[in-house]
Amino acid sequence: MRLISLIFAFFIASIFFVSGQGIGGPGTIKDDGRFAASTKQVNQFFRRFNAEESPTDGNKRYYPGDSLYHNKALRQGFLKVLFDNQTSSISPDLKDEFQKNVLSDQYPQYLNFHREGWMAEVQADFIFKGKRETATLVLKLQPEGLGYEWVIDKVSFPPFKDLFNKPVGDSKDFLHPLSHELGFMNLRRAFQDSKMPEAFTKSSFEPDYLTLFLYEMKQDNVRFETVKDVKFHFFQVEGWYFEVNQFNRPGFNTGWLISNLVKLSPGDKETILKYIYDQE
Amino acid sequence: MLGLFLATTVSVFAQADDISPARKQAIDSLALEKVKDLSKYISIIGSKETQFSEANRVMDRAEELFAPGAEMGVSSINSSEIAYYKVRRYFERLMALNYDRVNITWYDIQYISDLERQPDGRYVGVITVFQRFEGTSIETGMNYKDTTKKDITIYVEKKQTQIAGRTIEFWDVMLGDVRVTETSA
Repeated sequence: MRLISLIFAFFIASIFFVSGQGIGGPGTIKDDGRFAASTKQVNQFFRRFNAEESPTDGNKRYYPGDSLYHNKALRQGFLKVLFDNQTSSISPDLKDEFQKNVLSDQYPQYLNFHREGWMAEVQADFIFKGKRETATLVLKLQPEGLGYEWVIDKVSFPPFKDLFNKPVGDSKDFLHPLSHELGFMNLRRAFQDSKMPEAFTKSSFEPDYLTLFLYEMKQDNVRFETVKDVKFHFFQVEGWYFEVNQFNRPGFNTGWLISNLVKLSPGDKETILKYIYDQE
Repeated sequence: MLGLFLATTVSVFAQADDISPARKQAIDSLALEKVKDLSKYISIIGSKETQFSEANRVMDRAEELFAPGAEMGVSSINSSEIAYYKVRRYFERLMALNYDRVNITWYDIQYISDLERQPDGRYVGVITVFQRFEGTSIETGMNYKDTTKKDITIYVEKKQTQIAGRTIEFWDVMLGDVRVTETSA
């Protein structure tokens, strides 16, 4: 334990004089430790969270059987540098509680790339009917064929927001219960006279915005422009939710870091998911 | 067989789909060699001392490192929007930059991700490197500097070839899309 603490102390200290193998040969610039300290990839976020790579520069990947693989003290050190410590307002007490939970001797918790419980949120710009609009796409990893792929799970697109507004109750338009006796000739009310044909759908009707979005794209009404932002939501640690964002700024606390942490009470997960999916 | 990593010299294909840590390390080295080649080519293409014909020849070599259709996605500190360029177009823009002196160097650090298998059976990984660019214009006295993070996709595929009647398997690495992000460093 003490040895690991020493190793980690060395990691923190050595970010000021780290050197790597380099790719440029002669004339290579020496990193002053900032790029080494940065959590440069989401992959590195996973590895650091689980203690699956060497401190300092992460050049050594730890595998099951390696002495430091999933080492608790190493994880403790990594977890400290995996939070956005400059702009996020996560209280030290909450971080401590989270770390105790994650590093528990009885039930340590790890992140798993292939397991359910994490997703990407992507802000991307599209041109829709001549106007630039930002869509929020939620992507998930799924097994497919011989490997895995990221797939679009949901889309939230402002132009579709108020497109469907199904009324309820006694003042809504409806097809009366003996419409069948007339061969549903009154469907004309739903499809021709009404500005709100969704009023004639079943109570549980929910528009599928992704299908709608893809339909508009196939009709050449939606054209992709660019990606603007990416973040990740994690529910893999039991009883906790956290958000991972990329911080591109001077200093040592940069890269993919935890920017939001919530201890979940019953019902909180559903509320957060509803917020992420923005499907209300 | 330049640039190819020989995985095995016999035609044994059983459980060959998993990549062991040792194999991963060998593939990492091969991928890193390709990234080193790319960084060398970028420095040559960007240099004002490189003749036009030589730059074109190097662009051809650099393009050969990439899988067909690979793109560079570039964003700056001021704009998070990604501008997309085909690899060749990116090199041409680099060559045409209006500076009298250009110096491109690389930081002595890189990060190599795990390899993940995609639906078609090929493996994909990402290598992150950092580049320093300095351009000087004598006329205006303008000196532009930036540091960019380059996240380079690598595709790893097991291939076979016949040599003297024997089936040889080897791992081949191609570069794919590159995300170029200006850093605040």
